[in-house]
Amino acid sequence: MPAWRWLRFVRGTSLRRIAPWLLLLLALVAVRLSKGAVLADAYAFLTRPFWPGTAQAEWLRSARRVEDGVRLAQLERDNQRLRSLLDLQKENPNRVTAPVISRNGAGWWQQLLLGQGAISGIRAGQAVLGPGGLVGLVASVTPTTASVTLLTDPRSRVGVWVGRTQHHGLLTGIGTARPLLRFLEKDPQARPGDVVVTSPASTLVPPNLPVGVIQSIDANADPAPEAVVQLIAPISALDWVQVQVR
Amino acid sequence: MELLTRQPRLAATALLVPLLALASPGWLTLDGVAPCWAVLWLLPWALSDGPVSGAFTGLGLGLLLDGLHAGAVTQVPALMLLGWWWGRMGRRAPPIQRSFSLGLLALLGSALLGISLMLQWALLDWFGVREAAQLAGPVAGSTLERHGVNPALLALPGWRWDDLAGAGVQVLLAQTLITALLAPMLCSLQLLLWRQLGSGWRR
Repeated sequence: MPAWRWLRFVRGTSLRRIAPWLLLLLALVAVRLSKGAVLADAYAFLTRPFWPGTAQAEWLRSARRVEDGVRLAQLERDNQRLRSLLDLQKENPNRVTAPVISRNGAGWWQQLLLGQGAISGIRAGQAVLGPGGLVGLVASVTPTTASVTLLTDPRSRVGVWVGRTQHHGLLTGIGTARPLLRFLEKDPQARPGDVVVTSPASTLVPPNLPVGVIQSIDANADPAPEAVVQLIAPISALDWVQVQVR
Repeated sequence: MELLTRQPRLAATALLVPLLALASPGWLTLDGVAPCWAVLWLLPWALSDGPVSGAFTGLGLGLLLDGLHAGAVTQVPALMLLGWWWGRMGRRAPPIQRSFSLGLLALLGSALLGISLMLQWALLDWFGVREAAQLAGPVAGSTLERHGVNPALLALPGWRWDDLAGAGVQVLLAQTLITALLAPMLCSLQLLLWRQLGSGWRR
Protein backbone atom coordinates (compact mmCIF):
# COMPACT_ATOMS: atom_id res chain seq x y z
CA MET A 1 0.00 0.00 0.00
CA PRO A 2 1.46 3.41 -0.95
CA ALA A 3 2.42 5.75 1.86
CA TRP A 4 -0.19 8.40 0.98
CA ARG A 5 -2.98 5.90 1.65
CA TRP A 6 -1.79 5.50 5.26
CA LEU A 7 -1.84 9.28 5.63
CA ARG A 8 -5.42 9.44 4.42
CA PHE A 9 -6.31 6.57 6.75
CA VAL A 10 -4.91 8.39 9.75
CA ARG A 11 -6.50 11.72 8.82
CA GLY A 12 -9.94 10.23 8.28
CA THR A 13 -12.35 8.53 10.55
CA SER A 14 -9.65 6.65 12.52
CA LEU A 15 -8.30 9.85 13.98
CA ARG A 16 -11.74 10.86 15.13
CA ARG A 17 -12.19 7.41 16.62
CA ILE A 18 -8.98 7.35 18.62
CA ALA A 19 -9.11 11.01 19.70
CA PRO A 20 -11.23 10.31 22.82
CA TRP A 21 -8.83 7.55 23.85
CA LEU A 22 -5.85 9.86 23.42
CA LEU A 23 -7.63 12.45 25.56
CA LEU A 24 -8.34 9.77 28.18
CA LEU A 25 -4.69 8.72 28.13
CA LEU A 26 -3.63 12.36 28.60
CA ALA A 27 -6.04 12.67 31.54
CA LEU A 28 -4.57 9.54 33.15
CA VAL A 29 -1.05 10.85 32.65
CA ALA A 30 -2.16 14.11 34.28
CA VAL A 31 -3.48 12.14 37.27
CA ARG A 32 -0.17 10.28 37.45
CA LEU A 33 1.90 13.48 37.30
CA SER A 34 -0.25 15.25 39.89
CA LYS A 35 0.37 12.37 42.34
CA GLY A 36 -3.26 11.32 42.20
CA ALA A 37 -4.64 14.75 43.08
CA VAL A 38 -8.10 14.29 41.58
CA LEU A 39 -8.31 10.68 42.74
CA ALA A 40 -7.32 11.30 46.36
CA ASP A 41 -9.64 14.32 46.58
CA ALA A 42 -12.52 12.31 45.13
CA TYR A 43 -11.83 9.54 47.64
CA ALA A 44 -11.82 12.06 50.49
CA PHE A 45 -15.09 13.55 49.26
CA LEU A 46 -16.79 10.17 48.87
CA THR A 47 -15.65 8.76 52.22
CA ARG A 48 -16.32 11.91 54.27
CA PRO A 49 -19.47 10.41 55.90
CA PHE A 50 -17.39 7.44 57.12
CA TRP A 51 -14.52 9.41 58.63
CA PRO A 52 -13.70 8.53 62.24
CA GLY A 53 -15.79 10.26 64.91
CA THR A 54 -14.48 12.81 67.35
CA ALA A 55 -14.45 10.39 70.33
CA GLN A 56 -10.73 9.84 69.94
CA ALA A 57 -10.03 13.55 70.04
CA GLU A 58 -10.15 13.52 73.86
CA TRP A 59 -7.95 10.42 73.94
CA LEU A 60 -5.54 12.23 71.65
CA ARG A 61 -5.48 15.24 73.97
CA SER A 62 -4.72 13.12 77.06
CA ALA A 63 -2.03 11.24 75.16
CA ARG A 64 -0.63 14.61 74.14
CA ARG A 65 -0.27 15.53 77.84
CA VAL A 66 1.76 12.37 78.48
CA GLU A 67 3.85 13.07 75.42
CA ASP A 68 4.40 16.65 76.62
CA GLY A 69 5.78 15.34 79.92
CA VAL A 70 8.39 13.21 78.14
CA ARG A 71 9.25 16.04 75.82
CA LEU A 72 9.56 18.55 78.64
CA ALA A 73 12.16 16.48 80.47
CA GLN A 74 14.10 16.03 77.26
CA LEU A 75 13.82 19.69 76.32
CA GLU A 76 15.10 20.89 79.69
CA ARG A 77 18.21 18.74 79.29
CA ASP A 78 18.66 19.83 75.72
CA ASN A 79 18.12 23.47 76.58
CA GLN A 80 21.26 23.54 78.72
CA ARG A 81 23.31 22.43 75.77
CA LEU A 82 21.61 24.68 73.24
CA ARG A 83 22.08 27.84 75.30
CA SER A 84 25.73 27.78 74.43
CA LEU A 85 25.05 27.28 70.74
CA LEU A 86 23.33 29.23 68.02
CA ASP A 87 19.59 28.81 67.84
CA LEU A 88 19.45 26.53 64.79
CA GLN A 89 15.78 25.70 64.69
CA LYS A 90 12.96 27.33 66.62
CA GLU A 91 10.08 25.18 67.69
CA ASN A 92 6.64 26.11 66.53
CA PRO A 93 3.78 24.48 68.41
CA ASN A 94 1.24 24.99 65.61
CA ARG A 95 -0.43 21.70 64.90
CA VAL A 96 -3.26 20.75 62.58
CA THR A 97 -5.45 17.84 63.68
CA ALA A 98 -6.39 15.58 60.78
CA PRO A 99 -8.43 12.35 60.47
CA VAL A 100 -6.81 9.27 58.97
CA ILE A 101 -8.99 8.35 55.98
CA SER A 102 -6.82 5.58 54.57
CA ARG A 103 -4.33 3.43 56.43
CA ASN A 104 -1.80 1.12 54.84
CA GLY A 105 0.53 -0.10 57.56
CA ALA A 106 1.89 -3.08 55.65
CA GLY A 107 2.63 -3.86 52.05
CA TRP A 108 4.84 -2.23 49.46
CA TRP A 109 3.88 1.30 50.45
CA GLN A 110 3.37 1.99 54.14
CA GLN A 111 1.48 5.22 54.27
CA LEU A 112 -1.51 7.11 55.64
CA LEU A 113 -3.89 9.40 53.82
CA LEU A 114 -5.10 12.33 55.92
CA GLY A 115 -8.34 14.23 55.46
CA GLN A 116 -6.61 17.63 55.58
CA GLY A 117 -4.34 19.05 52.93
CA ALA A 118 -2.77 22.17 51.50
CA ILE A 119 -5.86 24.25 52.30
CA SER A 120 -5.18 23.65 56.02
CA GLY A 121 -1.57 24.67 55.67
CA ILE A 122 -0.05 21.20 55.44
CA ARG A 123 3.05 20.94 53.26
CA ALA A 124 5.33 18.11 52.17
CA GLY A 125 8.06 17.27 54.69
CA GLN A 126 6.12 18.24 57.81
CA ALA A 127 6.15 15.93 60.83
CA VAL A 128 3.06 13.88 61.64
CA LEU A 129 2.40 12.92 65.24
CA GLY A 130 0.12 10.30 66.69
CA PRO A 131 -0.69 9.81 70.38
CA GLY A 132 2.73 9.30 71.91
CA GLY A 133 5.05 10.55 69.25
CA LEU A 134 6.18 10.84 65.65
CA VAL A 135 4.61 8.49 63.11
CA GLY A 136 5.96 9.81 59.82
CA LEU A 137 6.47 12.70 57.45
CA VAL A 138 4.12 14.23 54.89
CA ALA A 139 5.18 12.98 51.46
CA SER A 140 2.75 14.86 49.22
CA VAL A 141 -0.35 16.99 49.52
CA THR A 142 -3.45 17.72 47.50
CA PRO A 143 -5.87 20.54 48.38
CA THR A 144 -7.86 18.36 50.81
CA THR A 145 -5.61 15.36 51.52
CA ALA A 146 -2.06 14.64 52.60
CA SER A 147 -0.11 11.44 52.07
CA VAL A 148 2.16 10.43 54.95
CA THR A 149 5.15 8.12 54.65
CA LEU A 150 5.25 6.10 57.87
CA LEU A 151 8.46 5.59 59.84
CA THR A 152 8.15 1.87 59.09
CA ASP A 153 8.30 2.40 55.31
CA PRO A 154 11.71 1.53 53.82
CA ARG A 155 11.75 4.96 52.16
CA SER A 156 11.72 6.65 55.57
CA ARG A 157 14.96 8.01 57.03
CA VAL A 158 14.78 10.23 60.12
CA GLY A 159 17.66 11.56 62.19
CA VAL A 160 17.20 10.62 65.88
CA TRP A 161 19.22 10.36 69.03
CA VAL A 162 19.05 8.48 72.28
CA GLY A 163 18.25 11.14 74.85
CA ARG A 164 20.15 9.46 77.71
CA THR A 165 23.45 9.02 75.90
CA GLN A 166 23.02 11.78 73.29
CA HIS A 167 24.32 9.51 70.54
CA HIS A 168 22.93 10.08 67.08
CA GLY A 169 21.58 7.57 64.61
CA LEU A 170 19.35 7.17 61.61
CA LEU A 171 15.91 5.63 62.10
CA THR A 172 15.35 3.45 59.05
CA GLY A 173 12.13 1.74 57.99
CA ILE A 174 12.69 -1.84 56.92
CA GLY A 175 9.16 -2.83 55.94
CA THR A 176 8.23 -4.36 59.30
CA ALA A 177 6.29 -2.84 62.22
CA ARG A 178 9.52 -1.95 64.04
CA PRO A 179 12.05 0.34 62.36
CA LEU A 180 15.79 -0.04 62.78
CA LEU A 181 18.00 2.53 64.47
CA ARG A 182 21.42 2.55 62.81
CA PHE A 183 23.92 4.32 65.04
CA LEU A 184 26.66 6.50 63.65
CA GLU A 185 29.10 5.55 66.41
CA LYS A 186 30.77 2.24 67.10
CA ASP A 187 29.90 2.42 70.80
CA PRO A 188 26.51 4.14 71.23
CA GLN A 189 26.20 3.04 74.91
CA ALA A 190 22.46 2.51 74.40
CA ARG A 191 20.47 -0.23 76.06
CA PRO A 192 16.97 -1.68 75.74
CA GLY A 193 14.41 0.67 77.27
CA ASP A 194 16.13 3.87 76.19
CA VAL A 195 13.80 6.47 74.71
CA VAL A 196 14.56 7.59 71.15
CA VAL A 197 13.66 11.17 70.17
CA THR A 198 14.16 13.22 67.03
CA SER A 199 17.59 14.69 66.69
CA PRO A 200 18.15 18.38 67.48
CA ALA A 201 20.59 18.39 64.57
CA SER A 202 17.96 17.27 62.07
CA THR A 203 16.77 19.79 59.52
CA LEU A 204 13.84 17.59 58.48
CA VAL A 205 11.92 17.19 61.73
CA PRO A 206 11.37 19.35 64.82
CA PRO A 207 13.78 18.46 67.64
CA ASN A 208 13.05 16.18 70.58
CA LEU A 209 9.79 14.65 69.45
CA PRO A 210 9.38 11.23 71.10
CA VAL A 211 9.67 8.43 68.57
CA GLY A 212 10.03 5.07 70.29
CA VAL A 213 11.77 2.83 72.78
CA ILE A 214 14.75 0.63 72.04
CA GLN A 215 13.65 -2.98 72.18
CA SER A 216 16.88 -4.83 71.39
CA ILE A 217 20.39 -3.99 70.26
CA ASP A 218 22.73 -5.79 67.91
CA ALA A 219 26.11 -4.48 69.01
CA ASN A 220 27.98 -6.63 66.46
CA ALA A 221 26.16 -5.33 63.39
CA ASP A 222 28.33 -4.14 60.56
CA PRO A 223 29.39 -1.34 60.09
CA ALA A 224 27.84 0.07 63.30
CA PRO A 225 25.48 -1.20 66.03
CA GLU A 226 21.79 -1.39 65.24
CA ALA A 227 18.75 -1.31 67.48
CA VAL A 228 15.18 -2.42 66.91
CA VAL A 229 12.82 0.37 67.97
CA GLN A 230 9.26 -0.07 69.14
CA LEU A 231 7.33 3.02 68.09
CA ILE A 232 5.36 4.76 70.85
CA ALA A 233 2.46 5.78 68.60
CA PRO A 234 0.21 2.81 67.68
CA ILE A 235 0.26 3.12 63.91
CA SER A 236 -2.20 0.30 63.29
CA ALA A 237 -4.89 1.97 65.44
CA LEU A 238 -4.52 5.61 64.42
CA ASP A 239 -7.74 7.44 63.65
CA TRP A 240 -6.55 10.99 64.24
CA VAL A 241 -3.11 12.53 63.96
CA GLN A 242 -1.56 15.96 64.27
CA VAL A 243 0.59 17.60 61.65
CA GLN A 244 3.21 20.01 62.92
CA VAL A 245 2.91 22.90 60.49
CA ARG A 246 5.72 25.42 60.33
CA MET B 1 -12.15 -5.05 22.48
CA GLU B 2 -15.93 -4.87 22.30
CA LEU B 3 -16.40 -3.81 25.91
CA LEU B 4 -13.93 -0.95 25.69
CA THR B 5 -15.11 0.40 22.32
CA ARG B 6 -18.85 -0.22 22.50
CA GLN B 7 -19.42 0.27 26.23
CA PRO B 8 -16.53 2.43 27.43
CA ARG B 9 -18.53 3.41 30.50
CA LEU B 10 -17.89 -0.08 31.89
CA ALA B 11 -14.16 0.70 31.93
CA ALA B 12 -14.98 3.40 34.48
CA THR B 13 -15.44 0.58 37.00
CA ALA B 14 -11.62 0.49 37.02
CA LEU B 15 -11.85 3.60 39.20
CA LEU B 16 -12.98 1.26 41.98
CA VAL B 17 -9.46 -0.22 42.04
CA PRO B 18 -7.62 2.82 43.46
CA LEU B 19 -10.58 3.57 45.74
CA LEU B 20 -10.45 0.00 47.11
CA ALA B 21 -6.65 0.25 47.43
CA LEU B 22 -7.16 3.39 49.54
CA ALA B 23 -10.09 2.04 51.57
CA SER B 24 -8.19 -1.24 52.17
CA PRO B 25 -10.49 -2.85 54.76
CA GLY B 26 -8.45 -4.14 57.67
CA TRP B 27 -10.34 -7.45 57.94
CA LEU B 28 -9.56 -8.31 54.32
CA THR B 29 -5.82 -8.61 54.76
CA LEU B 30 -3.30 -11.35 55.29
CA ASP B 31 -0.54 -10.47 57.73
CA GLY B 32 -1.66 -6.85 57.31
CA VAL B 33 -1.19 -6.95 53.54
CA ALA B 34 -4.17 -6.10 51.33
CA PRO B 35 -4.95 -8.03 48.13
CA CYS B 36 -3.82 -6.72 44.77
CA TRP B 37 -7.08 -5.11 43.61
CA ALA B 38 -5.62 -4.22 40.21
CA VAL B 39 -5.09 -7.90 39.40
CA LEU B 40 -8.56 -8.82 40.63
CA TRP B 41 -10.13 -6.28 38.27
CA LEU B 42 -7.81 -6.67 35.29
CA LEU B 43 -7.91 -10.48 35.07
CA PRO B 44 -11.62 -10.88 34.20
CA TRP B 45 -11.62 -7.73 32.07
CA ALA B 46 -8.70 -8.88 29.92
CA LEU B 47 -10.04 -12.43 29.63
CA SER B 48 -13.34 -11.03 28.34
CA ASP B 49 -12.12 -8.24 26.13
CA GLY B 50 -8.87 -9.31 24.53
CA PRO B 51 -5.20 -8.33 24.59
CA VAL B 52 -5.39 -4.75 23.26
CA SER B 53 -8.11 -3.77 25.70
CA GLY B 54 -6.27 -5.61 28.48
CA ALA B 55 -3.02 -3.78 27.82
CA PHE B 56 -4.76 -0.42 27.49
CA THR B 57 -6.71 -0.78 30.73
CA GLY B 58 -3.53 -2.09 32.37
CA LEU B 59 -1.83 1.15 31.33
CA GLY B 60 -4.70 3.22 32.74
CA LEU B 61 -4.78 1.30 36.01
CA GLY B 62 -1.03 1.54 36.38
CA LEU B 63 -1.07 5.31 35.91
CA LEU B 64 -3.86 5.72 38.46
CA LEU B 65 -2.17 3.53 41.07
CA ASP B 66 1.25 5.12 40.53
CA GLY B 67 -0.35 8.46 41.31
CA LEU B 68 -1.25 7.25 44.79
CA HIS B 69 2.30 6.35 45.78
CA ALA B 70 5.24 8.65 45.94
CA GLY B 71 8.38 7.06 44.56
CA ALA B 72 10.23 6.16 41.43
CA VAL B 73 8.83 2.67 40.82
CA THR B 74 5.90 2.00 38.52
CA GLN B 75 3.29 -0.70 38.12
CA VAL B 76 2.53 0.20 34.50
CA PRO B 77 4.79 -2.33 32.65
CA ALA B 78 3.68 -5.31 34.73
CA LEU B 79 -0.03 -4.44 34.46
CA MET B 80 0.21 -3.85 30.68
CA LEU B 81 2.01 -7.17 30.26
CA LEU B 82 -0.55 -8.99 32.39
CA GLY B 83 -3.45 -7.38 30.48
CA TRP B 84 -1.94 -8.42 27.17
CA TRP B 85 -1.16 -11.96 28.35
CA TRP B 86 -4.56 -12.60 29.90
CA GLY B 87 -6.28 -11.04 26.87
CA ARG B 88 -4.50 -13.47 24.51
CA MET B 89 -5.38 -16.32 26.83
CA GLY B 90 -9.04 -15.32 26.80
CA ARG B 91 -9.17 -15.44 23.02
CA ARG B 92 -8.31 -19.13 22.98
CA ALA B 93 -10.87 -21.89 23.37
CA PRO B 94 -12.02 -23.20 25.77
CA PRO B 95 -12.70 -20.00 27.75
CA ILE B 96 -11.05 -19.80 31.17
CA GLN B 97 -13.70 -19.73 33.88
CA ARG B 98 -12.87 -22.46 36.40
CA SER B 99 -12.14 -21.32 39.93
CA PHE B 100 -8.77 -23.02 40.08
CA SER B 101 -7.63 -21.47 36.78
CA LEU B 102 -8.70 -17.99 37.87
CA GLY B 103 -6.98 -18.41 41.23
CA LEU B 104 -3.80 -19.64 39.58
CA LEU B 105 -3.75 -16.78 37.05
CA ALA B 106 -4.35 -14.23 39.84
CA LEU B 107 -1.56 -15.82 41.87
CA LEU B 108 0.86 -15.60 38.94
CA GLY B 109 -0.25 -12.04 38.13
CA SER B 110 0.12 -10.81 41.69
CA ALA B 111 3.52 -12.49 41.98
CA LEU B 112 4.69 -10.96 38.69
CA LEU B 113 3.53 -7.50 39.77
CA GLY B 114 5.29 -7.84 43.13
CA ILE B 115 8.48 -9.16 41.55
CA SER B 116 8.51 -6.30 39.02
CA LEU B 117 8.37 -3.82 41.94
CA MET B 118 11.10 -5.69 43.81
CA LEU B 119 13.34 -5.66 40.73
CA GLN B 120 12.87 -1.92 40.31
CA TRP B 121 13.72 -1.27 43.96
CA ALA B 122 16.71 -3.59 43.75
CA LEU B 123 17.97 -1.70 40.67
CA LEU B 124 17.43 1.66 42.37
CA ASP B 125 19.31 0.36 45.42
CA TRP B 126 22.17 -0.85 43.25
CA PHE B 127 22.50 2.49 41.44
CA GLY B 128 22.07 4.36 44.75
CA VAL B 129 24.82 2.37 46.46
CA ARG B 130 27.19 3.03 43.56
CA GLU B 131 26.45 6.75 43.69
CA ALA B 132 26.78 6.83 47.49
CA ALA B 133 30.07 4.97 47.33
CA GLN B 134 31.40 7.68 45.01
CA LEU B 135 30.18 10.36 47.43
CA ALA B 136 31.55 8.48 50.44
CA GLY B 137 34.87 10.26 50.42
CA PRO B 138 33.64 13.83 50.86
CA VAL B 139 30.51 12.93 52.88
CA ALA B 140 31.94 10.42 55.34
CA GLY B 141 33.94 12.88 57.33
CA SER B 142 37.06 12.14 59.29
CA THR B 143 35.52 10.69 62.46
CA LEU B 144 32.85 8.63 60.79
CA GLU B 145 35.20 7.35 58.11
CA ARG B 146 37.64 6.24 60.79
CA HIS B 147 34.87 4.25 62.46
CA GLY B 148 33.89 2.66 59.16
CA VAL B 149 30.34 4.06 58.99
CA ASN B 150 29.26 5.54 55.68
CA PRO B 151 26.29 7.89 56.30
CA ALA B 152 25.74 8.30 52.57
CA LEU B 153 24.92 4.59 52.39
CA LEU B 154 22.75 4.64 55.51
CA ALA B 155 20.73 7.59 54.24
CA LEU B 156 19.72 5.93 50.97
CA PRO B 157 15.90 5.85 50.95
CA GLY B 158 13.91 2.92 49.56
CA TRP B 159 13.86 -0.84 49.81
CA ARG B 160 17.34 -2.28 50.28
CA TRP B 161 18.48 -5.76 49.24
CA ASP B 162 18.22 -7.09 52.79
CA ASP B 163 14.79 -5.47 53.29
CA LEU B 164 13.54 -7.06 50.08
CA ALA B 165 14.88 -10.44 51.12
CA GLY B 166 13.14 -10.16 54.51
CA ALA B 167 9.98 -8.08 54.67
CA GLY B 168 9.75 -7.86 50.86
CA VAL B 169 9.36 -11.61 50.39
CA GLN B 170 6.83 -11.67 53.23
CA VAL B 171 4.74 -8.95 51.57
CA LEU B 172 5.00 -10.70 48.20
CA LEU B 173 3.84 -14.05 49.59
CA ALA B 174 1.01 -12.54 51.65
CA GLN B 175 -0.31 -10.43 48.78
CA THR B 176 -0.04 -13.27 46.29
CA LEU B 177 -1.90 -15.66 48.56
CA ILE B 178 -4.75 -13.33 49.56
CA THR B 179 -5.21 -12.26 45.92
CA ALA B 180 -5.32 -15.88 44.73
CA LEU B 181 -7.83 -16.77 47.46
CA LEU B 182 -10.18 -13.94 46.51
CA ALA B 183 -9.86 -14.37 42.75
CA PRO B 184 -12.19 -17.37 42.26
CA MET B 185 -15.04 -15.54 43.96
CA LEU B 186 -14.58 -11.99 42.66
CA CYS B 187 -13.22 -12.77 39.19
CA SER B 188 -15.94 -15.34 38.43
CA LEU B 189 -18.65 -12.78 39.09
CA GLN B 190 -16.92 -10.11 37.02
CA LEU B 191 -16.21 -12.57 34.22
CA LEU B 192 -19.86 -13.50 34.06
CA LEU B 193 -20.87 -9.84 34.01
CA TRP B 194 -18.39 -8.77 31.35
CA ARG B 195 -19.17 -11.74 29.10
CA GLN B 196 -22.88 -11.10 29.32
CA LEU B 197 -22.45 -7.42 28.56
CA GLY B 198 -19.88 -7.87 25.82
CA SER B 199 -20.19 -9.79 22.63
CA GLY B 200 -17.22 -11.99 23.43
CA TRP B 201 -19.37 -14.59 25.17
CA ARG B 202 -18.62 -18.01 23.79
CA ARG B 203 -20.72 -21.05 24.54
